[in-house]
Amino acid sequence: MTTRVLEVVRAGLVPYAEGLAWQRSLAQARIDRQLANDLLLLLEHPPVVTLGRNSRAAHLLSPVGLDVFEIERGGDVTFHGPGQLVGYPILDLTGHKPDLHWYLRTLEEALVTALAEIGIPAGRNPPYTGVWTRGGGRKIASIGIHVKQWVTWHGFALNVTTDLAQFERIVPCGIPGVEMTSVQREMGEGRGERDLWNAALTSVIHGFETAFGVEATVHDEVSRGAAASHPGA
Amino acid sequence: MATNVYMEALSPTMEEGRVVKWHKREGDAVKTGDTLAEVETDKAVMDLVARADGVLRQVSATEGQTIPVGNVVAVIAAPGETVGAAPAAAPRPAAPPGAVSGQRGPAPGDGSGERGAVPSVATPADATRVKASPLARRIAKEAGVDLKLVTGTGPGGRVTKRDLETARRGVQVEARPTAGQPTPQREVPLPAPRSQEIVSEGPAYDDVPLTQIRKTIAKRLVTSLGPIPHFFLTTEVDMERAAEARDALNKQLGDQGKVSFNDVIIKATALALVKHRACNAWFQEGHIRYWNEVHIGMAVAIEDGLITPVIWNADRKSLALIGREAKELAEKARSRRLQPAEYTGSTFSVSNLGMFEIDQFTAVINPPEVGILAIGSIVQRPVVMDGQLAPRRRVRITMSCDHRVIDGATGAAFLKTLKQMLENPLAMLL
Repeated sequence: MTTRVLEVVRAGLVPYAEGLAWQRSLAQARIDRQLANDLLLLLEHPPVVTLGRNSRAAHLLSPVGLDVFEIERGGDVTFHGPGQLVGYPILDLTGHKPDLHWYLRTLEEALVTALAEIGIPAGRNPPYTGVWTRGGGRKIASIGIHVKQWVTWHGFALNVTTDLAQFERIVPCGIPGVEMTSVQREMGEGRGERDLWNAALTSVIHGFETAFGVEATVHDEVSRGAAASHPGA
Repeated sequence: MATNVYMEALSPTMEEGRVVKWHKREGDAVKTGDTLAEVETDKAVMDLVARADGVLRQVSATEGQTIPVGNVVAVIAAPGETVGAAPAAAPRPAAPPGAVSGQRGPAPGDGSGERGAVPSVATPADATRVKASPLARRIAKEAGVDLKLVTGTGPGGRVTKRDLETARRGVQVEARPTAGQPTPQREVPLPAPRSQEIVSEGPAYDDVPLTQIRKTIAKRLVTSLGPIPHFFLTTEVDMERAAEARDALNKQLGDQGKVSFNDVIIKATALALVKHRACNAWFQEGHIRYWNEVHIGMAVAIEDGLITPVIWNADRKSLALIGREAKELAEKARSRRLQPAEYTGSTFSVSNLGMFEIDQFTAVINPPEVGILAIGSIVQRPVVMDGQLAPRRRVRITMSCDHRVIDGATGAAFLKTLKQMLENPLAMLL
């Protein structure tokens, strides 16, 4: 049996609307079997607030000056912005385990493993979805996904060097009183932002390899949509 | 004929779903594969997809409503067809998770009919269909068994659950030359030797693919011995008094558990670290994090590698408690039930190969930690005491140090404290 391949695309800074259209088209291509492998898009968005299908307007406290998108992922309101590592796994779950709850938990495990690799003890905080620093302390990563015909899109947002003050404009994930944190805040000063970002990117890829049992091949994105031109296997 | 639209289960643990948005309205024409509605469970939103062509009728769930899995939320009627009374709720159990995949995309020539009724996992690529029960298909899929290779004994050659179990047992027996090893890829047998050389039976080598855990170990450890400037300090410790203390403790504990030498060493290590904070640290880019808490990682050998579950705050735990926790963690590790939170976050590690009759060895540092102890076997050695030769139980302990944080004298001072504590267990009470 050969190991499944995960094509990882490091896409850099992508405007939210563009990223949304991109992942939707890739997911459709995966559903239509035009893509041979699972994909993981890793990127960063300019500041934006997104409302999941479970959002309540009251959880958006201060939207002034921010783009707001209402989208098809699970979960409540969240913030994306520079310094936050956003991952959109486009996975065909029939090749793994056709089980949404398994997928959510495995996504969490991938991030916990990644954080362990860079030296941040973290874990789950049942019944909430997402990743918290050890003991359910502070929330470091958010998760919200969408699935159609067992193909996933949307995904996770890991705060690396995110400006945490931005979260004060919302009630993150609709959980009042939740304290958000970032890799930078947990690691303390002393490491450059670029260095933290690269460490987070690398360990997230390792985390996916371990948790999902896949082999990552990493691409630095040249032209968006190029990945979609792979013929089906 | 009309096709029911059910609330589908996208996980065996999903019991109900909340309809968050209808994409199609009553009376809309729909095609197989169209998204009818979005359903939310946990932090996931899934598309409820049309399984037939026709017109959407009898939409019975409103947006925001939570519906149990297996209930009918709408009906797809054939064009022009009038649908009678609303169908009964929950007429069938939820489709098994594997079942939905086969209905991906429109199947040519299969645009009508009751497609939701008989779930099938056959993929479009599966040209030659094998007769099998839905349960058998699911088991086969999960186990990675090709149904075409299984002889069916059910009606009309149908593959049943029992056939699969028989087949899987057979496969396991054949494919397991050595217990506990991943199945190796055997090379083609060697040609017969030309001369009377000594030829061992079987292939000259077995290629075993790297398992995921071995890959992770490899990745983690080359980030250690490569970039970390290791140096090693070895000391020999007299364990006679620690053995007496342990025996006395175990007598007192009775059937409330046992304390092992390893537990004693973990506790003494933790206490010595409290006195030598310089060794209880993480090396990080740009800074050293000196821990005020002591969390001991305990290397445990498992079937396909090793893992270091953590005893939290070991300096503040009783020996009995450490003994209980260590046993529990080791069992969890061997049965692969450890959660990531249980094996990350240690501040110093201990590796013990005493049970393998290793006199002394060196261990590789578990980054970002800066030290690890390698514990050998406790063996009787002749020792000169008060001018007399006496047999004493002794253990060799080797400390690996990260020279970026620990200098020779720092490590030696820590080892000296550890040695004193083990040789005079009462010192642990100080």
